[in-house]
Amino acid sequence: MTAYIIRRLLYLIPIVMGVLLVTFCLFTLVGGDISQQIAGKNADAETIAEIRHEYGFDKPLFLAWDSQFLAHFKKAFTFNFGRALDREKIGEKIFRGVGPSLALTVPMFFGTLVISISFALIVAFLRGTVWDHIIVFLCVAGMSIPYLSFIIFGQYYFAYKLDWFPIFYDPSRPIYLSIILPALIGIVAGLGSNLRFYRTIMLDEVRSDYVRTAFAKGLTARKVLFKHVLKNAMIPIVTNTVLSIPYLILGSLLLERFFGIPGLGYLMIEAINARDFFVLNAMTFIMALLIAFFTLVTDVCYAWVDPRVKFD
Amino acid sequence: MFPASPKARYLSQIASHRFCRLTILICASFFSACNQDDHPASTPDEIILNQRIRSKIQTLDPADVGDTASHGVCSEFYESLYSYHYLKRPHEIVPELAAVMPEVSEDGTAYRISVKKGVYFHDAPCFPDGKGRQLTAHDFVYAFKRIANVKVLSKSWYIFDGRILGLDDFREYTKGCSKGQVGYSRPVEGLYAEDDFTLVIKLHRPWPQLIYWLAFLPTAPMAKEAVDYYGPDIVKHPVGTGPYMLKQWHRGIYLEAVRNPNYRQVFYPSKGMPDDVAAGLLANAGKQLPLIDRVFWRVVVENQPRWLLLMRGDIDINSIPKDNFGQAVSMGTELTEEMKRRRMRLKLFDEPSTFWLGMNMNDPVLGQNKPLRYAINYAIDRKKFIDIILSSKGKPARGFIPLIMAGYDETIREGSPSRFDIQKAKACLKEAEQLHGGPIPKLRLAIGRTGTVQKQTLQFLARNLSEIGLEVETELYDWPTYLEKMRNGSHQMFFSGWMADYPDVESFLSVFYGPNASWPNSTNFNNPEFNALYERVSVMPDGPQRTKLYRQAQRLVLEEMPCAFTYHRIGYIIHHNWLGNVKPDPYKADATGFGHLKYYTVDAAKRDTYRKTFK
Repeated sequence: MTAYIIRRLLYLIPIVMGVLLVTFCLFTLVGGDISQQIAGKNADAETIAEIRHEYGFDKPLFLAWDSQFLAHFKKAFTFNFGRALDREKIGEKIFRGVGPSLALTVPMFFGTLVISISFALIVAFLRGTVWDHIIVFLCVAGMSIPYLSFIIFGQYYFAYKLDWFPIFYDPSRPIYLSIILPALIGIVAGLGSNLRFYRTIMLDEVRSDYVRTAFAKGLTARKVLFKHVLKNAMIPIVTNTVLSIPYLILGSLLLERFFGIPGLGYLMIEAINARDFFVLNAMTFIMALLIAFFTLVTDVCYAWVDPRVKFD
Repeated sequence: MFPASPKARYLSQIASHRFCRLTILICASFFSACNQDDHPASTPDEIILNQRIRSKIQTLDPADVGDTASHGVCSEFYESLYSYHYLKRPHEIVPELAAVMPEVSEDGTAYRISVKKGVYFHDAPCFPDGKGRQLTAHDFVYAFKRIANVKVLSKSWYIFDGRILGLDDFREYTKGCSKGQVGYSRPVEGLYAEDDFTLVIKLHRPWPQLIYWLAFLPTAPMAKEAVDYYGPDIVKHPVGTGPYMLKQWHRGIYLEAVRNPNYRQVFYPSKGMPDDVAAGLLANAGKQLPLIDRVFWRVVVENQPRWLLLMRGDIDINSIPKDNFGQAVSMGTELTEEMKRRRMRLKLFDEPSTFWLGMNMNDPVLGQNKPLRYAINYAIDRKKFIDIILSSKGKPARGFIPLIMAGYDETIREGSPSRFDIQKAKACLKEAEQLHGGPIPKLRLAIGRTGTVQKQTLQFLARNLSEIGLEVETELYDWPTYLEKMRNGSHQMFFSGWMADYPDVESFLSVFYGPNASWPNSTNFNNPEFNALYERVSVMPDGPQRTKLYRQAQRLVLEEMPCAFTYHRIGYIIHHNWLGNVKPDPYKADATGFGHLKYYTVDAAKRDTYRKTFK
């Protein structure tokens, strides 16, 4: 297993390098020169030239020791991302945003996961009944409603009309107060697709012979569902769950923007609007690392939840 | 497939599992913290103003400011030599950090400015013992040279470019220096401190607009100690002389400012316009400023939360989002019954702005075909455009000089092609086709934003033009790409506008001045007569003769019609009745009080009552 993990970790190197190459090409070759934007609309040619020099845009793209690509590479691997267009250190920005993003996405993640799996088990158990049909209908309806509608309705009705929650993040209050409503909206908006997904998995399992055998042996429903069915359904659950973890750090773009949560989702939107490629590069690199790492974790977890899986 | 035992029993077994208990616990923990008060915490006697900002504050360094939000907030921390009288209209320049109005030489090329004594910078760790030192004329010299320093990458060099004797040489010198090694003690012929409290500025040629630029934020004095101490982080540590000091700033989220305890004696004006007494704007005459202790700005990008926060009483003043316009305003000028019930106040004002459909005069189809440009002008239904796209927040434009500026010409209405006349448009198009030698090819119309309103704007204009038989392709670009197209001249038609930074039409004329081709003159209009007139008028002092020449210049542009002037925008501000002394300043960024917050009052009791009533 150790050899497998080391081998997989070594695979990460070309993957991450590939990501760096792609992001570099996208942002420099396709994205165009942003010196004009940094300089402002009234800038003269000298200021633009100075900006090109300051940010290294006047250096060769690839084939030189001081090329832009190598500088991009160095920044990423030393985790010294430099300063954003607003002159703030990118590392500080990201570090500051991780907490609020996680504060929002972790409860959303666990809430959605626990509720979806629990309901999926129940719905699978009640398959074919009116309750099953109602829940499937609600899931499809939930999936059909745009995410933004959940946000606009939730903010208007629960925060403004009913006054149950703050409308917007208030820094003078603990952050968790401002996170409750967006987290609930995130859970509700995500329930439809998740519940449907887990229901399908559970249905595959509850139709299996071993479930019939377990009931025939006189095991309780709780034992059958949670000890046997849930355990056998773990492979797709682990895949879906562990691979979602990197996105938790990224936060939620729309929820953070509407509720003013100072997380990384908000930071990403700001960076996209401002064409701040320095921030976007840093975020993309970190995401690539996290996704590659959690893919490895997923593979390791397979062996943990299913003894039939062996590392070769 | 399942054993035929009762499902209810199974369900109760499932529910008792710890997995489900965890689910219930998570849900319960969410609801346990509901129904919380979300107003900023304050000490009992402290007066707080709750403001909102529509976009992120990029910087708090005056030399670096290039966006509306930063400009607005920064204006509370820094002051300039001059400012505008808060109440008087038309705008009147008054000394702020200057002791008196400048002494100007007879030929208009030398300014001698006395700097007010007893003005102190904010307390900051960059000063000995953390105590702000006295402002001197040297701080202005340093600030102006800093803008000239090419290594600072200031967005405001255009203000001084080619204006002050020796300053361009200083900029040349900085190009050869490494960052941080620029010698600010290097003399500049036309910029120096005669003594600690006298600033001298010598110009290449007369520049009557200088006085307005000296009232502009980027020309605010900077303490060299602060810039040296904070280095690149000066962008987040404002050390000015303004009425407020930065307390905390979470970028992109909120910013909090507190009253500057060392603010000099500055009093609320005791004179204003005749209507100001009835409007209660002179109730605080003679009182020491600022009148509010703390200002709390939240960055609220989306319209819905911004509007809901206003309705809840969590922010005190706001512009009216497009989607909420009908909810707030009826008949275009009055508050709706609901807003009246909430005792809201509405302020309307003409902005010094003009928006137009521009045509590239270097384009082979448009540039040589005056009837085509006239046809486009006649084809645009300005009234409908204003009603549909702007929710009536505008007035049709006949020329580029806005209604509130000296030089606005009522007489151009008649006979000007800046009006909707479909028959004339068709007749002009026929003439244009003859001149072109066949049907006009498909035209391209671009805009420098990609939002919904921009898309609707182009769709509306394209439809207007299609009604007379012109085929138009619309192009939405992000701002940098759009700017690049303007600069390299690859554009054909575009929708753009201009808003004056100061009450002088000169800046509008610069948009049509030949040597400014590509930017800001994106139409590439180049008329020798206009150019000569601009060169003459731009160095003339204010007066009836200059106003007359401005009108003459506008007529020269209207004759050629490089633009279809479309509308002048009307500003709408809505605020709660507890906010006092609100007088919008169209020349200030955003017009919802930025740069003027020191004049505002807040009646905390009224605010509390509102919050209880409308909770």
